[in-house]
Amino acid sequence: MSAAIWLVVAWPLLLAIPMLRARMKRALHVALLPAVVLVLVPGDAYLRLPWFLFGTGFAMNGPARWMLAMAIAIWLIAMSVRASQQQDAGHDRATTLLLLTLAGNLGVVLTTDLLGFFSFSTLMAYGFYGLLVCGGNEDVRRAARLYVIALLVADLLLFEALIHTATVASEFSYAVARQSILTTQYAQLYIWAVLTAFVLKAGIWPFHLWLSGLFMSAPLSRRVLLVGVPVTMALLGAARWLPLGMPGVQGSWHGIQALGIIALLYALSRLVRSGLSRMLAAWCTVAVTGLFLVILGTGLTYPAIWQQYQDMIYPFIAVAGISLVAVMIVVERLGDARQLANPALQRLDGWMLRAVGWIRMFEDRAAGSSRALRTQWRILMSRVAAQGRRVLPWKHRTADLMGGWGTSITMFVLLGLVLAWLTN
Amino acid sequence: MTQNEWVLLLMIASSLVPGLMIFSLSEERVRLRTTLNVGGAVLKTGLVIWMLLGVYRQQTFELRLQLLPGLELALQADALSLLFVALSTALWLVTTIYAIGYLEGSPNRSRFFGFFSLCVTATVGVAMAGNLITFVLFYELLTLATYPLVVHRGTEAARRAGQTYLTYTIAGGALLLLGTVWLYTLTGTLEFIPRGFVASLGDEHHSALIMIFVLLIAGLGVKAALVPLHGWLPQAMVAPAPVSALLHAVAVVKAGAFGIVRVVYDVFGVEFAAELGVMQPLAWLASFTIIYGSLRALLQDDLKRRLAFSTVSQVSYIALGVAIAGPIATIGGVVHLVHQGLMKITLFFCAGNLAETLGIHKVSEMNGAGRRMPWTMAAFTIGAFGMIGLPPVAGFVSKWYLGLGALEAHQDWVLFVLVGSTLLNAAYFLPILHVAWFREAPESWPEERDYGRKETAWALLLPPLVTAAMALAAGLLAFAPFSPLEWAKVISPREFYQP
Repeated sequence: MSAAIWLVVAWPLLLAIPMLRARMKRALHVALLPAVVLVLVPGDAYLRLPWFLFGTGFAMNGPARWMLAMAIAIWLIAMSVRASQQQDAGHDRATTLLLLTLAGNLGVVLTTDLLGFFSFSTLMAYGFYGLLVCGGNEDVRRAARLYVIALLVADLLLFEALIHTATVASEFSYAVARQSILTTQYAQLYIWAVLTAFVLKAGIWPFHLWLSGLFMSAPLSRRVLLVGVPVTMALLGAARWLPLGMPGVQGSWHGIQALGIIALLYALSRLVRSGLSRMLAAWCTVAVTGLFLVILGTGLTYPAIWQQYQDMIYPFIAVAGISLVAVMIVVERLGDARQLANPALQRLDGWMLRAVGWIRMFEDRAAGSSRALRTQWRILMSRVAAQGRRVLPWKHRTADLMGGWGTSITMFVLLGLVLAWLTN
Repeated sequence: MTQNEWVLLLMIASSLVPGLMIFSLSEERVRLRTTLNVGGAVLKTGLVIWMLLGVYRQQTFELRLQLLPGLELALQADALSLLFVALSTALWLVTTIYAIGYLEGSPNRSRFFGFFSLCVTATVGVAMAGNLITFVLFYELLTLATYPLVVHRGTEAARRAGQTYLTYTIAGGALLLLGTVWLYTLTGTLEFIPRGFVASLGDEHHSALIMIFVLLIAGLGVKAALVPLHGWLPQAMVAPAPVSALLHAVAVVKAGAFGIVRVVYDVFGVEFAAELGVMQPLAWLASFTIIYGSLRALLQDDLKRRLAFSTVSQVSYIALGVAIAGPIATIGGVVHLVHQGLMKITLFFCAGNLAETLGIHKVSEMNGAGRRMPWTMAAFTIGAFGMIGLPPVAGFVSKWYLGLGALEAHQDWVLFVLVGSTLLNAAYFLPILHVAWFREAPESWPEERDYGRKETAWALLLPPLVTAAMALAAGLLAFAPFSPLEWAKVISPREFYQP
């Protein structure tokens, strides 16, 4: 079984050559077959290729099985959505790009070292960029351009981190590399570079503009892959690259936790305003990634806690990925149902809208418990927003970025007060 | 003569003799000319494989012929020379096939292929030179053999470009010769020796040695297109695509870069050169060239000019790797000699295909070119990704070792140069890929030629696909035996004292 792991990645790559799949129906499903077999066959498998990609390897173990199962599920959903909505009909190029992205995605899941991850994520990310741009409208292209800029900066940061690791590590397997970098003066630089890179790659607040832009404008099959490809793989990358739960990590990473909480609150504040629109899934994604940032901060600051719960991180990513896709599909179906005037679903829609209304009312009352404080915060935040608009020329995006700040920072401060009161 | 001496002689003859024979052929003798061209290239490839195996088994290849009392024409095959010879021979074979397709039906093909073969002869001579005087002789022969190729089209622009090319390269050659003669008067020898032969002069000739170093690097820097000596390269883009490929990937630019490697390692010795204080300025100059070339490339709409400025930038990675003066950076610099050649020749072949098939010469004309010529643009994409330094294409391997070498030599600032260059490369290559793959194609192309159901002629399509595959393989299989990287790892230790 071990020797066949490479087929999981190589098979979609081969099928990406149009001539080789010319007479093949459902090439994408066929490309997923080896991955499905690998996930279903019990037992671990390892393969090391000393000549390939600086001596990379593939492994099928517990964590990889979670991630591979999630990837397969998301790809199958994306394919069925693509088929049902007849997206990319007659676009052979889109199929090629899908297969390249798939190969990169599966490679990222199975590879056992930093360089392999870096290489496969490059294939995956640029393939996905092509997929977004291929047949996308102007809004999609604009958001995709932001995505590729974030990607370039992130890759350069990862390159720096890798180079510094290479000066001390004898090999690039995750465990050895993480342990080695902690013994050097570059440990802090490494952690910051890796954190920033994956924050950019996952579109974590405040670098979420490309993510929200794509949720706003991309078709459903691409949005499903948006969760399955860049977002969850970036979370996986952060979990694998960062020295989480290792006692040698210096310093306090409460700032990262705080950033995560702000991101979470920001996303929640946008979430309650979005209603049952397609942006619901976008803000859910920003919330989940914010929560993940809190987890990362905890893992860096409190090694003991991390060691206790570290086995849950991969199931968490997998479940989060599937749940986000489920939210997306449900919202889309509700949107379709509204158009078809199905009474049962319209009733459900009505309940959900009412629920959103209650949440909004609750939020207004909670935040407005001290009218003076709230007013002052709003004035301050409107000033911050005005400054931002002055500095950044991209007005509508700036408004998008700044819009939820007032509420989220208010909530953050209130949360801080409550925590302080509780600890005292 | 021993068998190995014959092999060296045959290496020169395998392109020289066919070249001289081709000159005498009439235009109509297409089949014989093709046979001579391809036959010579295949023979040379076989000889290179023979020598690679020999050097790997520690065999010595050396040939000496008396030129003047005290001066010998020396040919040798060591690991460094074989790296360059293998590159130029392999690329000569694919460029020959490409040129046959590219020039089909055009006039003066015998003249073209005659000089083409002479050019490769000179390049192999440069690579296998065993001393500085032999190097200078072949280096000048290279100038003379490439000039007719640059002016091959015979247009006014071609003649002007040829004049500029000749002015620059002859001036460069003169500086190189002056430095060589001066060095000979001081040392009495010009033999290439691992770790150099001038260290014994020590402090006594400190200033003179710095001046000689400057003269030699300036002379070589012209062909290596170091700023501000690069002016000829963008102008020479009026030449046909196979000549551009030859200039940028196989012969001329590479001869300059290879010369810098030889002078630093086997004339001065890298450690003595560092003691002289000449390596740091060379690193700064190379870094400046890397950024400057990329910035200029960003502003070009003409595709070949953009690629030319990209060469100005990329070739300086080799000089930078040398100038960092550490064993790992040496690996990065030396291996980039091969990697840049593979990637850049792919890009020029593709640019030639676009020009020949669709009449596209400018980036602004490339909308939808990927839909019309998917294979050509797929090869171009691999080459461009490699230039940016994205894994797993060969360019990533070079940048990896350069970055690692810089950290090892405590020259962390080089990482900023690499990062800046990567961003700039992305800024001028990604828009090309974007418009070619994702923009709508125009209703008609500037000058479309009909190749039936094929996107272009096989002779034009096959070479870029082969070189793109080689560029990808050089990155993917970098750790495999006999890969350019593994070969560069053999070269590096011989240039540094082991503790």
